[in-house]
Amino acid sequence: MTPLKTVGHATHRIDALQRVTGKAKYTGDIHLPGMLYARVLRSPHPHARIRKIDVSKALALPGVKAILTNENCDVIWGSGDQINQRRLFNNPVRFAGDPVAAVAAANRHIAEDALHLIDVEYEVLPFLMDLEEALKPGAIEIHPGGNLSPNNQRQRQPQIYRRGNVAEGLKAADRVFEDNYATVHHNNAQLELRVAVAEWSGDKLTVHASTQGIANCRTDLARDLKIPAENVRVICEYMGGGFGNKNQNQDFDLMAAVLSKQAGAPVKLEFTRKEDFVAVHGRWSSRQSYKVGVKNDGTLTAIQLTALTGAGAYRKSSCDLAGTEIYQVPNLETSVSPVYTNTAVAANYRAPAYPQGVFGIESLMDDVAYALKMDPVEFRLKNMTRKFRDQTPYTSCGLEDCIRKGAEAFGWKQRWNPNPGSAPGPVKRGVGMAMGMFGSGLGRSSAVVRLDGQGQYHLHVGVTDVGTAAKTTMGLIAAEELGVPLEKVNVVWGDTDTCPYSVGESGSRTTVQTGMAVIEAVRDLKKQIAEKGAPKGNEVLTAMATTNPAQLQGQSRNSFAAHFAEVEVNVETGHVIVTRFVSAHDSGRVVNPLTAQSQVQGGSIQGIGMALHEELRYDKRSGLPLNAGYYGARIMTHLDAPPVQVVWVETDEPYGPFGAKTLGEPTIIPTVAAVANAIHNAIGRRVKSLPITRDKILEALA
Amino acid sequence: MKHKISRRRFVEGTSAGIVAAAALPAVEAQQKAPAAAAGVPAAPKTTIRITVNGIDHRVEVEDRWTLVELLRDHLELTGTKIGCDRGECGACTVLVDGTPLYSCSQLAIWMNGRSIQTVEGLAKNGKLDPLQEAFIEHDAPQCGYCTSGQLMIAKALLMKNAHPTRDEVRAAMTGNLCRCSNYNHYVEAVMAATGASPATGGGNAA
Repeated sequence: MTPLKTVGHATHRIDALQRVTGKAKYTGDIHLPGMLYARVLRSPHPHARIRKIDVSKALALPGVKAILTNENCDVIWGSGDQINQRRLFNNPVRFAGDPVAAVAAANRHIAEDALHLIDVEYEVLPFLMDLEEALKPGAIEIHPGGNLSPNNQRQRQPQIYRRGNVAEGLKAADRVFEDNYATVHHNNAQLELRVAVAEWSGDKLTVHASTQGIANCRTDLARDLKIPAENVRVICEYMGGGFGNKNQNQDFDLMAAVLSKQAGAPVKLEFTRKEDFVAVHGRWSSRQSYKVGVKNDGTLTAIQLTALTGAGAYRKSSCDLAGTEIYQVPNLETSVSPVYTNTAVAANYRAPAYPQGVFGIESLMDDVAYALKMDPVEFRLKNMTRKFRDQTPYTSCGLEDCIRKGAEAFGWKQRWNPNPGSAPGPVKRGVGMAMGMFGSGLGRSSAVVRLDGQGQYHLHVGVTDVGTAAKTTMGLIAAEELGVPLEKVNVVWGDTDTCPYSVGESGSRTTVQTGMAVIEAVRDLKKQIAEKGAPKGNEVLTAMATTNPAQLQGQSRNSFAAHFAEVEVNVETGHVIVTRFVSAHDSGRVVNPLTAQSQVQGGSIQGIGMALHEELRYDKRSGLPLNAGYYGARIMTHLDAPPVQVVWVETDEPYGPFGAKTLGEPTIIPTVAAVANAIHNAIGRRVKSLPITRDKILEALA
Repeated sequence: MKHKISRRRFVEGTSAGIVAAAALPAVEAQQKAPAAAAGVPAAPKTTIRITVNGIDHRVEVEDRWTLVELLRDHLELTGTKIGCDRGECGACTVLVDGTPLYSCSQLAIWMNGRSIQTVEGLAKNGKLDPLQEAFIEHDAPQCGYCTSGQLMIAKALLMKNAHPTRDEVRAAMTGNLCRCSNYNHYVEAVMAATGASPATGGGNAA
């Protein structure tokens, strides 16, 4: 790979100074003159019909300016989406935390006080907490038509993928392995609360949104409010994390806009931390049943997956499961059924369908390897994917190198114990590994680049930078293509009035999609400079590009990873410490090794939390959440976090900006399974449900 | 969820007897909140003296305001963030007379006569604190939302212990959550600020 001048060199963020001095203005820091504060009243019941709602006492409280309920607000959130749409305020309410009313008042205290003055008469309804229960004949229907949520074809049928013939494949196997795995709903838990500030000026709406994508947020707001998109401006200059749950427009943006309209004043709507845990969404839970057919030499003949996933009370995302595609196998069948229950809504969280699916398949494959007396690393090298879904060649694939180089950096050969559980106790050491992959898609995104008469370049990109360093990445790509130092590129971001469409920081697409638009815009600008000469004085040259690359002509572009974990398990207490972690990644060329390392270390450490601690738990009898908050969620802390060593496998990728592929989401995909496999290697028992808590380890050992 | 007890009700009745200290040359904080709007019920108020980043303020606070609310909503110091407002995450960490505290869990009236340092007060005379320099160089902030709190807890640690070990840094900072989970870079940044040599093994080994 040819070294480049700017891309590929560790560069600190262009907005780092603002972030370390407190000057970065996040949405919650916006304060507008005359601004009202809003709070939301939520259902205390998992399922109930609202018989009567009386807001008169709340409205009479001095300082209260507007109240929305199901009776005066029929706005539909996600109105463009047949499967996923729902009203902002629903009746019946379908989970503990479903919004019942929103109040805008002169200050946050009055808004909070007003919530207590709203009288709601509920008719409490029976509720469902469990996926299997919800599908039993005669179960109450959370939505008309039943609790099996529609598949992609809008049928009340499982989402099915098939290739080859699984029955034949299983018949051809020397051995068939079967097992079941369970994963739980856990929360994105980004530090920034959900907050929006909305302001109307005539029929023009400005929303300061905590969003991962200003462009999609704008069009979605316009669609749901039934106003032209050109009347909506969305601004997000700094964003305090989302990990997938601030894509598109969110209900807090919409509520703030409607409240602001009704009150005739700007409105800041903040959700509390508890609301963030129960009322928005986290990663969907799953029940996975696998059958795997294998020859005695370790060759796979078939994989079958039948799964339920927990959509929660409303459908918000695919609720799919991924993972089986990391194996080359001629016969595959996956059947995934998203199910409604009266619990918090599930949707996108960093690689939405992946780490939980990979936990399942990689746990089972680990067992297969041990049963065949094969080194788990050798088993993966033998069976890893060579073509996407066994058919489509990859544009580049560094998976084998991720496994080999990761194993070497980790010291797999020296550390691996072929006899799980045989280490002396009470603190047993074990190692495990797992692999993962993620699509590095193609699609539309735009960029504008200008050169002014003073020789300064201005790059306009519609990114918000959720923490991925997207602004810096875009600047680096522009600087490289322009052949100028980064300082010569002034990056303009985060405002739909000044920035063209960008896909949004979801699906790990910004670098590959918006980055390509940046390159094409710069190429156009350079052409203009060559034709017209550099601008002087007040002159400006402007170039814009919108990429919509043709399909990859029968190829698939994917990023790959292999993670390696070492754990110490105290078999007397069940306590697990991750002592060593290596993350090997093929994301093509690494645009900025410094911030990319942050992504990999951060994603890996997040995944360790998913493996060991995190779960939104419910009391099954009351249907109420038990641990909504950081203490209860037990996300990773400084003391929990091991050092993560990052190994880059920079494949020669022919597409994408300078050969870059997707990175943000793959960083969490193999982590959970690697930790689970390390625990198995340490104690000789397999824990098949997440999170792998002390009680489960002790139970497995009992 | 419906709150059973509002902060207002909790605080009511606890504030009597807090007496404003004699006014020194002080900056009168402007009342930024629209609470003074006509028809809004008056909440119990108390005048306090508080020093923030070396500037003395004499300010009338509602007894129900938390310190972070005073800083953010009324003194325009929004560098201190609210991540949970319930003493769980550490994003709102500030120094109160040199001691790190969660400012969401302190009432403003309790701060009478105290000296507060926030992230805005770290740089001196236009020169960044070594911690801030190191945070930039080591890419400690990802989304940056927890960063102010991480800086203040690290500052408190280094004021007490100029040369901590990595384990001491982790222990001191463990009450400050980072969901981007950039803990490796945070620890390396703090170590670099102390002048410690970088860790071996990719700059992030223990």
